[in-house]
Amino acid sequence: MIALRLPMAFKIPLVVTVFMAAVAVFVSERVLSRFQEAQTRHVGDLATIYLDGMASALVEPVVREDEWEAFDIIDRARQIHAGLRLTETVVALADGRVLASSDPRAHSSWSPLPPSFLTQRTQAPMVDVRDDEAQAVSRRDLASGGTIVGSVHATFDIAPLLAERRSVLWSLIVTNAALTLVLALAAWLTVRRMMRPIQVLASHLEEGAGQRVEPIPEQFVEAAPLEVRRLFQAFNGMAEAVQEREVLSRQLVEEERLASLGRLASGMAHEINNPLGGLFNALDTLKEHGERGDIRRRTIDLIERGLRGIRDVVRTTLVTYRADQDIHSLKRADVDDLRLLVEPEVRRKWLALRWVNEGYDELPMSPSVVRQVLLNLLLNACRAAPEGSQVGFEAHVDGPCFVATIEDMGPGLPIGARNALTDPGGKPLPGSGGGLGLWMVHRLIKEVGGTVAALPRIPAGTIVRITIPLKDEEGTANVA
Amino acid sequence: MDRPGPSRRKVVSGALALATVAGTHQVRAASGELRFGLTPVFLTSDLELLDRLRSCLEQATGLSVRLVTRRTYQEITSLLLSGQLDTAWICGFPYVVNRSRLALVAVPVWQGKPLYRSYIITDRDRQARTLDDLRGDVHAFSDPDSNSGWLVTATALARDGLTPERFFSRTIFTYGHRNVIRAVASGLAMSGSVDGYVYEIMRETEPDLIARTKVVRQSELLGFPPVACPAGSIDDPGIRSLQAALVGMPEHPDGQAVLRLLRLDGFSIEDPSLFEAIAAEVAIVRGGG
Repeated sequence: MIALRLPMAFKIPLVVTVFMAAVAVFVSERVLSRFQEAQTRHVGDLATIYLDGMASALVEPVVREDEWEAFDIIDRARQIHAGLRLTETVVALADGRVLASSDPRAHSSWSPLPPSFLTQRTQAPMVDVRDDEAQAVSRRDLASGGTIVGSVHATFDIAPLLAERRSVLWSLIVTNAALTLVLALAAWLTVRRMMRPIQVLASHLEEGAGQRVEPIPEQFVEAAPLEVRRLFQAFNGMAEAVQEREVLSRQLVEEERLASLGRLASGMAHEINNPLGGLFNALDTLKEHGERGDIRRRTIDLIERGLRGIRDVVRTTLVTYRADQDIHSLKRADVDDLRLLVEPEVRRKWLALRWVNEGYDELPMSPSVVRQVLLNLLLNACRAAPEGSQVGFEAHVDGPCFVATIEDMGPGLPIGARNALTDPGGKPLPGSGGGLGLWMVHRLIKEVGGTVAALPRIPAGTIVRITIPLKDEEGTANVA
Repeated sequence: MDRPGPSRRKVVSGALALATVAGTHQVRAASGELRFGLTPVFLTSDLELLDRLRSCLEQATGLSVRLVTRRTYQEITSLLLSGQLDTAWICGFPYVVNRSRLALVAVPVWQGKPLYRSYIITDRDRQARTLDDLRGDVHAFSDPDSNSGWLVTATALARDGLTPERFFSRTIFTYGHRNVIRAVASGLAMSGSVDGYVYEIMRETEPDLIARTKVVRQSELLGFPPVACPAGSIDDPGIRSLQAALVGMPEHPDGQAVLRLLRLDGFSIEDPSLFEAIAAEVAIVRGGG
């Protein structure tokens, strides 16, 4: 199964190599076995010719048991047949004794014929090719008047034949190996060439997954084969669409940011404007009745409260949008302060805000994140809630988590918005009004390792619940 | 074709007396033709030698010369005795046996003398130093009618009251001195009786073959195998001119070439008494037999 994981540029040459090796083995086997057959036949023919030639001359000496004559014949014949690589010739009598050998020291006259020769009687000349001993042994019976009078045996050195066979084998191996190598290389180059457009496509896709999707340059598209060109063109079309969408969503983000900023600014202006009217009234009162001590004190007190209200609004806004990473503890008052920012919207829509925030004093988590998340959700709830209805907020600590629930009686979250809140796939969804704020909520919650869930409220509205784990044991110790 | 070799146990002279050479080629005399028999006493296989010998003799005698070779000594001797050859180069042994019916034409001179020796040879690596060490051997003889290739060894054994058949486990006749050397060199025979002259020539011509053997025993000097003719024809003009041609070979260019090939100094006319030593051997063998 390893082969399946290899890239095509290796797999196809590998297949070529295996295929070629199989063909080479098969062809070599055929060639060698045919070659061996031919050699065996050749040895057989030569041995038969030799033995037949010897037989006619040897019958008489064998009948006479003339060892010199027999020796003389085979000794001279050895010189004549030097090309045959004859190693030994032995003439035996019918009773199996050696009459003469071309090498009398090895097989002396009148000794029994050794079993290494062919001892079975045979009508026709018989040849036994023994590759392992690198020799061929042959026998021909000598007959006189229909009676077997003896036999002539010849052994041939077939080492040159075996060497020839080995050299054929080697040349087959070398040729086939070279051929296989060349074909594998050709296959590798071809596949690599064929795969190049695919690699271009793959690298562009990989880049796109990381950051921006770039279209494939025009020169690659034009150089590519027809099928691949269509693929490239389709990819480029897709890449352009993705780029357009990215531009669009960037614009949307900007717009949404401006919108939410505007909402906040108008809320703030409203919050500052309300006490300002009272403050001007108080200033008028002071101008007219400032000399009266009781009125002056009351009026100054009124001015002080008005200014304090303005200060609180400004400070809360600052705290909420300051990305101050050094502050790691969330106070209950930080959450309560949010009421101030929501208040103008609540009042504008005649909403009743149910506010429950208890069970803790200080939690080990970033107040900036929690406040941004809660403010976003609260403003969303206010916007969703119909005029004169109720918006609920509840925050408490549940085991190792800070849990906040925001509910409204609006028409419920559209599917797109809910997905943006719970599983936006890492990107803001364009085209859904509150989607961007919800997407930011999701991103911030994810940063602190929390979860967010959006549930439909019965009979109408939405419940959004966020759960943020407390950072450590130390943090939970602070829970009241 | 050649008949099988003669029985080894027959007395040589008996065989020769009976010889009618049945079945051999008829060697017919043509007018003006000299029929010259050659025994395997020297290297008959050398066709160049035969050619040169014939042309040399033809030029010297003015006769047409026909060289006749046979496988065994006996065949040549029989042909000569039966008149089917005018003359023949035979061995000292058949000459001595048939001395009364043959006359000497010429005797080769080798190393300055019309004499040679017989050798008993064995394998080079063998420890044997005397004839006695060869007891029980497979022994190769050249020819039952050969002096150096049979008679000398048989005589040596007869002096101790032995025969080759009893002394050796087995004997082989190879019908050629060169064959004796081949038999011993190859291991077919453990020892052999061979012409010392042939052995010495082969030291030069076939040193590899000779190198595989060594000489155990050398005989005394004996009369060199002579050229003989029937006793009645010694004064024939043809024989006389042949005699003159042989003796005059050193002066003739072709003759010199032949002598060089044979490693002989020349031919000389010798007295039959040259072969007394061989005659004595025959007497011993016959007495011992």
